[in-house]
Amino acid sequence: MGESVTEGTITQWFKKVGDVVARDEPLFEVSTDKVDSEMPSPAAGILTEIIAGEGDTVQTGSRVAVIDDSGAPAGAPVASATTEAPPSPTASAPVAEVATSAPPVAAAPAAPVPEESSNTGVVVSPVVRRILSDGGVEASSVQGTGPGGSITRRDAERAVAQGPTEEVVVPLSNGKRRMGQHMSVSSQSTPHGFVAIEVDGSIFAQLDKLGRVTRDGEAITDEMVVSLAAVRALAEFESLNATYVGDEFVLHRTVNLGVLRSIADDGMLVPVVHAAAGLTLRALARRVNELDERLASRQLTTDDLMGGTFTIAGSPSEHTLWTTPIIIQPEVAILSMGAVRTVPVVKTSGKTPKIEVGRRLVLGLSFDHRVCEPVGAASYLERVAELLAGMDLESER
Amino acid sequence: MANEVQQFDVVVIGGGPGGYAAALYGAAAGLNIAIVEFDKVGGTCLHRGCVPAKEFLETAHVRRTVEHASNFGIEATGVTVDFAVSQNRKNEIVDRLFKGLSGLLKGRKVTIFSGTGRLEKDLTVTVVDGADAGVVAKGTNVILAAGSVPRTIPGFDIDGTLVLTSDEFLDLSALPERATVIGGGAIGCEFASLLSDMGTKVTILEGLPSILAGCDSEVATVVQRSFKKRGIDIRVGVKITGHTPKKGTTTIAIEGEDGVETDMVVMSVGRRARTEGLLADGTGVEINAGGFVVADSFMRTSAPNVFAVGDVVAGTPQLAHVGFAEAIVAIKTILGEPAVPVDYDRVPWAIYSNPEVAFCGLTEAAAKEKGYDVVVKKDPFGGNSRAQIIGDTEGVVKIIAEKRADGSGGQILGVHMAGPWVTEQLGAGYFAVNWEATAEEAAALIQPHPSLSETFGETLLALAGRGLHLA
Repeated sequence: MGESVTEGTITQWFKKVGDVVARDEPLFEVSTDKVDSEMPSPAAGILTEIIAGEGDTVQTGSRVAVIDDSGAPAGAPVASATTEAPPSPTASAPVAEVATSAPPVAAAPAAPVPEESSNTGVVVSPVVRRILSDGGVEASSVQGTGPGGSITRRDAERAVAQGPTEEVVVPLSNGKRRMGQHMSVSSQSTPHGFVAIEVDGSIFAQLDKLGRVTRDGEAITDEMVVSLAAVRALAEFESLNATYVGDEFVLHRTVNLGVLRSIADDGMLVPVVHAAAGLTLRALARRVNELDERLASRQLTTDDLMGGTFTIAGSPSEHTLWTTPIIIQPEVAILSMGAVRTVPVVKTSGKTPKIEVGRRLVLGLSFDHRVCEPVGAASYLERVAELLAGMDLESER
Repeated sequence: MANEVQQFDVVVIGGGPGGYAAALYGAAAGLNIAIVEFDKVGGTCLHRGCVPAKEFLETAHVRRTVEHASNFGIEATGVTVDFAVSQNRKNEIVDRLFKGLSGLLKGRKVTIFSGTGRLEKDLTVTVVDGADAGVVAKGTNVILAAGSVPRTIPGFDIDGTLVLTSDEFLDLSALPERATVIGGGAIGCEFASLLSDMGTKVTILEGLPSILAGCDSEVATVVQRSFKKRGIDIRVGVKITGHTPKKGTTTIAIEGEDGVETDMVVMSVGRRARTEGLLADGTGVEINAGGFVVADSFMRTSAPNVFAVGDVVAGTPQLAHVGFAEAIVAIKTILGEPAVPVDYDRVPWAIYSNPEVAFCGLTEAAAKEKGYDVVVKKDPFGGNSRAQIIGDTEGVVKIIAEKRADGSGGQILGVHMAGPWVTEQLGAGYFAVNWEATAEEAAALIQPHPSLSETFGETLLALAGRGLHLA
């Protein structure tokens, strides 16, 4: 992914104008193409102005709010020197700098009458809910006229009379927008090539026999086993462990393995196992499980999502043959795996070929066709298959 | 402690139903909350209003039951009334509820400052008197829940013996021979009813053309008829000009009519907001001409982060349960959670007079005024088996529904009841109105037999087009 973030969208302010904020207290949430992060207040004082509202996209380092640190109550005339807050220490996240300064002198303004905020699609009555559902009308498509915008029976009946909801405009989640932007940019900027081979999966029968936990008690998945072989094969195919930005093709000496993860209704994230090259299956399992736990508890940091050099996309379902993944920029290749399937396998080792029950799976590689070609990609996959077949599970786990 | 500013998420001025509900609901969400209360938490409702009044009304009910016991073959002779015992019982009940509430607030770690709170302009609240005088509490948000106090009319100073409001009335340990209730609204009718049932000769003086002016007229008529039958003198459309006390009694002067001589005047002409001294200069909180705090449907006042709930709010019913509901809206708004504002046209009302009155939604007159074409059905309790069993058949259930093209009842707009235990029966009607059910939908549900609630069910059936008993 990108080495730095240049802009972010403010998704939520935790404080309102007039609120007292402590230094380092979460001030607002910013959504970047990487992750949503809470930004701490750079100073203690009173939030006197919000310059960038919720939904605004701001450049790194731009001024988003004013905090009065003079200790005077909000709205009171104060005259203190303007002090620029130091930039946020997190270089990777957007530095949404909150400058601290004195607010303009104001003569006791008339307090504004708060606007009547209205909810949409609020259904108070179960009767109304049933009318909508019988009529095939989505509550979110009905403008309510009841208190607080709630949908009354009249609103519901009117909406049903107009016919069932054909289309509903659904706002995309931040995660989906991030995913969409990244995928669009990647597929438009990079000519994708794709190769897939079918490989022997008897290692997974062995794994089932030995048990799918490491000696430390970490769960082992098919994806981890393939990851291990994929990472080791990269040692011989260094041009696939690379990034390509602008006109610079950079080979990386460390393998930082991204693992593709879907988030329910919120797009995808790619947590990164840093320095994965020397890991045993046992160590890799622990690292991946740690990332998955942080993902589940929404505690992934920007660092967890940075610096990937190669990515694996696990099988999305138990019958998937293969997927053709889109490259995570600015990497140059992404390995995909289908499900490990139990299938008839032709054995040619004896005098006459025999059909036996065996396991097979498809490995695929999407690659940046500007810097790789199909022969190299297929060779890499063949090497992964060899390493997979020859893996010493006993000692690895 | 004095003068040191203490910081809270929410500072609530007033510990009545609106205030303590805000504190309990907010504290349950993890907010750090302080209440500033000049008397005791529980407010008017618990100490000087709803709760004590209902205890006395129950005393009157027990007396009626004993009086009519002979109808059941139970002879009770030598029945006497010692109102002081009822007064003590009331105090015990109030005390138990007060202790329960205090314990609940303590358990939720709500800080209670004793004294009168005044909002300053920067979301700080100063305690101006009482045990915690001088305390300054700063809230990220402030909720004004200062409540209300009884009003009086010119020429009638409240002296606590001859001229009383509900505040003083509820502390009486003996009842007079004659009493005059000025104001025939909900509170006035409750007092008139209990006084009459306890043996006092009662006169109601009302300036409007009828008592219970806010109720559906047919329901008000049931009460009026019952009152008259029990000898309560109801004089409506009167203009009172003053009174002349003489040797423990007084004569109330009425323009163009004979005066009323009485032993006690009970003033029940409404309640005004307790906003005097509530706000320092420059808070930005708007107060209307009547002295009430102006708030929007999310309970936000005109000043940022200042909310108002309960009786102090302009233009909303002065009911404890409305205060509870407003408190929840305010806290949800503070928390940034989606809140559905209180639908003031559809809150439940309960008047605990004999006969009781309970209603929800539009009256027939109000529905027509709003332009609805309506269908109305009513069923008296006279034919109800349970009502005959308990010996209390006075009353009616009246339901107003929007008229459908075929003439049957559509959406239920209002449910109005007068009669036995209707304050406990309103629940089903409340759901019907607020869930916006049609007569047909509500009529499909079964009421137990024999029960008072069958009258409600029968009215619904009739509204839906065809009743069992009612055409």
